[in-house]
Amino acid sequence: MPARRLWIAGLLIVAAIGFLVYKGLGNSLVYFRTVNQAVAMRAQLGTTAFRLEGDVVPGTVKSVPGGVHFDVSAGGDTVSVVDHGQPPQMFAAGIPVVLEGHFQSGTGGFVSNQILVKHSSSYIAAHPGRVKGDPTAA
Amino acid sequence: MNPIVSRRASLVTGAVGLTALVGIAATVWLGLWVTPPAVGMGNLVRLLYIHPPVAWVCYLAFGVATAASLAYLWPRTRSRSWDRLAGASAELGVVFAALTLVTGSIWGYPTWGTWWTWDARLTTTALLAVLYVGYLAIRKVPGSPHVVARRSAVVAVLAFVDVPVNYLSVYWWKTLHQTGTVLDPSKQLKVHGIMAWTLLLGFVSFTLAYAWILVQRYRVAALEDHRDSDGLTSAIAERIAEGAGSPTRGTPSAAPAPTVSTSPAAASLGGNGAGSLARGVSSELDGASSVVAK
Repeated sequence: MPARRLWIAGLLIVAAIGFLVYKGLGNSLVYFRTVNQAVAMRAQLGTTAFRLEGDVVPGTVKSVPGGVHFDVSAGGDTVSVVDHGQPPQMFAAGIPVVLEGHFQSGTGGFVSNQILVKHSSSYIAAHPGRVKGDPTAA
Repeated sequence: MNPIVSRRASLVTGAVGLTALVGIAATVWLGLWVTPPAVGMGNLVRLLYIHPPVAWVCYLAFGVATAASLAYLWPRTRSRSWDRLAGASAELGVVFAALTLVTGSIWGYPTWGTWWTWDARLTTTALLAVLYVGYLAIRKVPGSPHVVARRSAVVAVLAFVDVPVNYLSVYWWKTLHQTGTVLDPSKQLKVHGIMAWTLLLGFVSFTLAYAWILVQRYRVAALEDHRDSDGLTSAIAERIAEGAGSPTRGTPSAAPAPTVSTSPAAASLGGNGAGSLARGVSSELDGASSVVAK
């Protein structure tokens, strides 16, 4: 029954694609909101889960029992964040991060369940002096 | 021995393969020992010399599969060769898509802090792999060679739509994945010194490795087709030889046997099952000719 087998194969493929599109593109087209976007639509967001993107403000990172406190800023707005868990090894002040979590009710800060480090597409030698002719070696 | 590959062509592909292996070995050596760690990433930067080249070969392989499929669909250039090339390249594309996902995941965990996230770049990459696995499945659905080749070619072309979407996803939508490092539309290289040269070597080496494996896979596919058509020719020759009548039970009334050159394959089968089958056929022929004689 080649025709029937073809239909089953086709249906499986369509179902797999449908699942990926639903699961992935559904929330990845708005993968994150920047701090200023999130602050602007705070009333609408309430305490629903979303991803928040911003730069970790230097000097605000404080370790607390069972987590870490810091501020993130983007587009002129700043939000204070509390994260419970282990930050990734590249987590540091000044870097852009994407936080999965939600706003606290009222005027509280952002509760993060996971910190994702957003890396830039530039790769610069850590010891520029070792690389001859490197324009960044100054 | 080999009916398809000339000695010279075989030497050329051997040289390509050797260059690819030496290039990959040099990339590993430069990537692990010579290049410096990077600001922020430290030693994690070393996956830069593998992951983008592998992802590029994935694009290239699906591009070649699609171009070959279009060449097959275009009536003036239609040839089974294009179909074989498309199938061979798509197989490699799936392998390199899997390598892209695996190396990306290994890189993602220590840098981002997660093995996987459903951002637009990662999702469309997974989709790309699934689409071409579907293409390979479609190639296995039975049918006449022409029908199979045509329906697969259509699927290959449709699936390719995801490649530009995947490439542009980091510019169209917000993603965790960074924008392009080398294939960046702004054309500003963001890697410095020996790191950039190692990355370039990685791109060249993996592209050569792809070309080498593609040629080998294409030859295997061509040999398979050759074997199938050879098998058909000898099977036809056998049937004709059986129809020619058996000399061991010749009867005076038999009509003169048509002259058929017996294939070696048919001759080697004489004396056992095939012989008795041949006798049965020849006795039927005897009956037919006696009817004609009356």
